[in-house]
Amino acid sequence: MSFCQEQLARVKPVWDVMLDHRFLKETREGTIPNETFANWMQQDYLFVEAAIPFIAALIPKAPLNHRAPLGQVIPAFEKELELFRERAQTAGVDLTQVPPSFTNHSYMQFLLASAYTKSYAEAYTVLYVAEKAYYDSWMVVRAGIDQGSIWFPFVENWTSEAFAGWVHYLEAELDALAEGVGADERGRMAELFELTAKYELAFWEMAASGGGWPGMEGDAK
Amino acid sequence: MIEFTDELQSAGRPIWEAQLRHPFVKGIGDGTLDEERFKNWVLQDYLYLKEFARVFAWAVAKSGRLDSMAWYAAVLDMTLNKEMALHRQYAGRFGLTANDLERAPMWPTTRAYTDFLIRTAADGDMADLVAALLPCAWGYVHLARELSKDRPPKDQRYADWIAQYASDEFAEAAAWLRGEMNWLAEGLPPEKKNKLIHLFVLSSTYEYQFWDMCWNGEGWPADW
Repeated sequence: MSFCQEQLARVKPVWDVMLDHRFLKETREGTIPNETFANWMQQDYLFVEAAIPFIAALIPKAPLNHRAPLGQVIPAFEKELELFRERAQTAGVDLTQVPPSFTNHSYMQFLLASAYTKSYAEAYTVLYVAEKAYYDSWMVVRAGIDQGSIWFPFVENWTSEAFAGWVHYLEAELDALAEGVGADERGRMAELFELTAKYELAFWEMAASGGGWPGMEGDAK
Repeated sequence: MIEFTDELQSAGRPIWEAQLRHPFVKGIGDGTLDEERFKNWVLQDYLYLKEFARVFAWAVAKSGRLDSMAWYAAVLDMTLNKEMALHRQYAGRFGLTANDLERAPMWPTTRAYTDFLIRTAADGDMADLVAALLPCAWGYVHLARELSKDRPPKDQRYADWIAQYASDEFAEAAAWLRGEMNWLAEGLPPEKKNKLIHLFVLSSTYEYQFWDMCWNGEGWPADW
């Protein structure tokens, strides 16, 4: 069994909870309140912004044949940001002056810290899991959302053939990287695989329930 | 003369005061803190220290002054070779072994705080790094000195905790870092200073949350 298949099987309990999340179901069924979806938009916009330096920090560590694909991700993320801005304008959502929630802030720091301090294969694991989680999650939404929904362009973005191809490519490359590392590093890759899956689940939960900074309500702020 | 660290302290004051009111901190001060809750701190702080040491390694690499490099290198050495050993020893007084410390899972707040510090150390400059470091180094001394104004708790383990962080050694280290911060902030434009204040407040917020995590316990979603 390949590394990715092995790890996806191992984290299946988290993955199943993630794909069954009410945020995805309500978006699919068209019952999600606008302010809830707007909360996700605002937070994910910040996350995509942070993903750009994450990719940039991977490039110096990347093998030569990965440089061009990673380089192409940056303009793709910029295009995603444009999609957010366009949808925000249509839906009347303010993307400016929004502070990151605790979950989002944590996930962004994790992303960058992984790029700076982990091996290439470890950081690439984080990239793959984040992208795979989005592909699988938005496929859940695609299987029933009204294509006239104001939110459908997001669904299209992460369920397109191009995105599916990107995730497939990442999986094959991650499997190849995992073949070339020792047991210790492979173990660390497995830990990061699990942790990223948990952050992805936590992100949907934060999007659905709102989310400031735990413990700070009514005190200090 | 108002120094930049006075501005930082002023911005962080509401959170620092909230830390002093937190039941975890108050419980150390009066000795009523439940031991099981304190064990959370012992375990998570050990994991925190490991990552905290890495931040000093970044500081050695980025510092522009030789004496600053030497100071950060000394703190790195002290953290890895002295403070962590003391921490293991101290953990033993709560029945925790070195193995318990090494095997403890890092909880989300510890993970988030340490990732934040490492990310700031890696992609920020020296002023960013020190602004993010200060709330831990300075804050512990501040809290411990505030707690030490009252009678020491009967539980000697908590009394020793307060005495350690209120000690001159820790206070001098915090004072050195404040001096470094003021030096680094000299002549910086207001936008940059605002960024440093933001980092300082953010780290202070994480300090508060660290107490809160230890008080309530924490886990990851869908732990299985």
